[in-house]
Amino acid sequence: MTKHDASRRAFLVRAAVGAGAAAGAGLVPDAIAQNHDHMEGGAAAPGAQHPSGSEHGAFFNHADAATIAAFTERLMPSAPDKPGARDADVLNYIDLALAGAYAELQDFYRRGLAQLEAYCRGTYKEPFVRLKPEQQDEVITALENGKATGFAYPTAREFFGILRTHTMEGMFADPLYGGNKDFAGWRLVGFPGAQAVFTPSDMQSKQAFSREPIVGLQTIAKGPAGRA
Amino acid sequence: MAIEKTDVVIVGVGAVGGILAAELGKAGMKVIGLERGPRLTTADFNPHDELRYFQRQELRPNWRKQPVTWRPNTGVRAHPMNILNYGNQAGGGTVHYGTLSWRMHEDDFRARSQTIERYGASAIPQDSSLADWPVTYADLEPFYDQAEYDLGVSGKAGNLQGRKIDGGNVFEAPRNREYPLPALLMDQSGVLFAEGAKKLGYHPFSSPRAIISEPYHDRPSCTYCGFCQSFGCHVGAKSSILVTKLPEADATGNFKLLTGATCYHVNTDNSGRATGVSYYGPDGSDNTIEADLVILAPFIYDNTRLLLLSKTAKFPNGLANSSGQLGKHVMAHIMAKVFAAYDDRYVNVYMGPSAQKHTIDDFNADNFDHSGLGFLRGAQISIGPADLEAGPIGTAMSMDPPPGTPKWGAAYRDFLGKYFARYGALNAQTENLAYADQTIDLDPDVRDQWGMPAPRVTYDWRRPNEVARVEFLMQKMEGVARAMGATKVWRAALSPGVPGAHHEGGTRMGNDPKTSVVNRYGQTWDIPNLFLIGSSTFPSMSGFNPTLTIQALTYMSADAIVKRYKNKPGPLV
Repeated sequence: MTKHDASRRAFLVRAAVGAGAAAGAGLVPDAIAQNHDHMEGGAAAPGAQHPSGSEHGAFFNHADAATIAAFTERLMPSAPDKPGARDADVLNYIDLALAGAYAELQDFYRRGLAQLEAYCRGTYKEPFVRLKPEQQDEVITALENGKATGFAYPTAREFFGILRTHTMEGMFADPLYGGNKDFAGWRLVGFPGAQAVFTPSDMQSKQAFSREPIVGLQTIAKGPAGRA
Repeated sequence: MAIEKTDVVIVGVGAVGGILAAELGKAGMKVIGLERGPRLTTADFNPHDELRYFQRQELRPNWRKQPVTWRPNTGVRAHPMNILNYGNQAGGGTVHYGTLSWRMHEDDFRARSQTIERYGASAIPQDSSLADWPVTYADLEPFYDQAEYDLGVSGKAGNLQGRKIDGGNVFEAPRNREYPLPALLMDQSGVLFAEGAKKLGYHPFSSPRAIISEPYHDRPSCTYCGFCQSFGCHVGAKSSILVTKLPEADATGNFKLLTGATCYHVNTDNSGRATGVSYYGPDGSDNTIEADLVILAPFIYDNTRLLLLSKTAKFPNGLANSSGQLGKHVMAHIMAKVFAAYDDRYVNVYMGPSAQKHTIDDFNADNFDHSGLGFLRGAQISIGPADLEAGPIGTAMSMDPPPGTPKWGAAYRDFLGKYFARYGALNAQTENLAYADQTIDLDPDVRDQWGMPAPRVTYDWRRPNEVARVEFLMQKMEGVARAMGATKVWRAALSPGVPGAHHEGGTRMGNDPKTSVVNRYGQTWDIPNLFLIGSSTFPSMSGFNPTLTIQALTYMSADAIVKRYKNKPGPLV
């Protein structure tokens, strides 16, 4: 897991916290609010509030990371005892995937994000991360229904569809892939992971399955699979 | 360019190719099998990983590298389908399949005659090419038996030599003997489904599956881990070709498996005889195998594609296409679904073999009176998870929330959090009729990684007969779901016209060389030393998963090749 270096970690955590701030108070650090086009291409903007050159995602620049964090958090919001995209580190999952298994979707994401920002600025005069949660939901609904204007490739529906799919993957894929942090997604739904065996009495139970541990590809976790 | 000589070359070493390799090898024939993908082992499937095998489909062809395109009609451009429902390794689809192992009903082999006898010829939609098979259930029964016992299928008989048995499928055709292995254990979705179905007077039973419920042929039994559909089995309890016939083929000493080998041409000479095949090796090399007998056994698209790509002056419309039927009559199952969710209990549908766990056959085939219903044929109705596998990614992708609940946001999170372990999905696997204008041909715009034109499917299931059948089945499933005591019952969205699972047809079998591509043994009418074996030869599809019927046909063909063709090559019919 060489990609999980400390500086990258810090980058992603800050982007995710930014998303939380946006959802909570409608305020974001200036760095996150930078014009998307300005950040495109990895050119680090000057100033203390911007990330240093060594702090970067595996694929996303800082502004895009903040947008993805905010968007995915609206798709699967975090709440007490109900882990969402931020808790599961969905951003980290997508960032790693785009640097690896889904590298062919890099252009899809770049163009999709640019179109999203243009749409938000055109409609609300603000980037996505600066919108209030209700406005962010309006934007996502417009994408889902193909009503958001100015999308060519990807189409609004396609962009929504991929973001939803990748959010679900980041929530529920094995933590090995960078999301589903501490089995957050599996705990949300009560999935015990890759159990090698279920017994006849397991199969006869009408109750939630709660035998420890949750089984992942590299790690196991104690504690009931379901919510407390 | 390497040239090798052999008695038999088989293209595709999956459900069909593996059986042929073992059976022909045992008879002393030298066999080379060409397999596009790798050869994996049981150890490769531990531990299970839903992202890799379900979501990213690692045991299936990569649709970007090996595209198959689809369009609903000839008026629009085709685009690659992003899910390909077949295998891409030695063992083919049997490595990742859900293992449903059905014998078709007696009337499934004669759906046209059955319909005319019971409802009159006018009941058949004018544009349908519904046809009888050139083989009967009775012809195939010994080979169904051979497949069940040789490979290992678990189930309970519902009709032993005409004696109906409660708890088995009382609609099944008479079988000569019991299944080799007892039925698999029921999970709670099966228990609920069985209770609900019985209340309505239906006849539920444990679906027969090629998963061994007890140790068999030196393999350990199922652990009920639930990772079946989309996954390789981590203990080898799934009776895939990898753990059944390939070791047997190896032991003959007459079988050579070439992996990473992509056949691109079937070679013929001026006399109209097949001389072998050409293929690209894993290193990109261009190679030829000369063989006395050529058997194509890939998934259905590549039969049509290879025959079209191999056209010559002697066969200007593609090989084995004097009938003009090549690429026609393509069929696919549609999976209509109803969800049943519970507020007062858990179901834990992720436990136990994942696909189509428990079944009612009351509305399949011609098991019910279609008079006045406005459609022919039916569906197998079963219970299981939303998309035949039960992990949370699959559930999030395939379980539509009930009307009024969005597919994202806090309400969706809460829906998934609450019902992931508290639901079952009823699934109707519909027998869609054959239509001549549902076709496979060569895509003029899209090519695969080797530069070959992609197979192009032109297909739309939404015919009046099919739409009426789906509505009827949806209502039946809603009735069962309510009888199951579910708190919430709702329908899943229907797919657009895209073909669903189990694609069949394209090289139809028949009794008449003028209207079919192959005879009952899969032997092409035009080129007697060229065979096509698999579901591409099915004249009709039934409401059942095709694999056991494909395998029974394979045993029948192997038997005919060994007993008759080997000593006297020539037409078997």
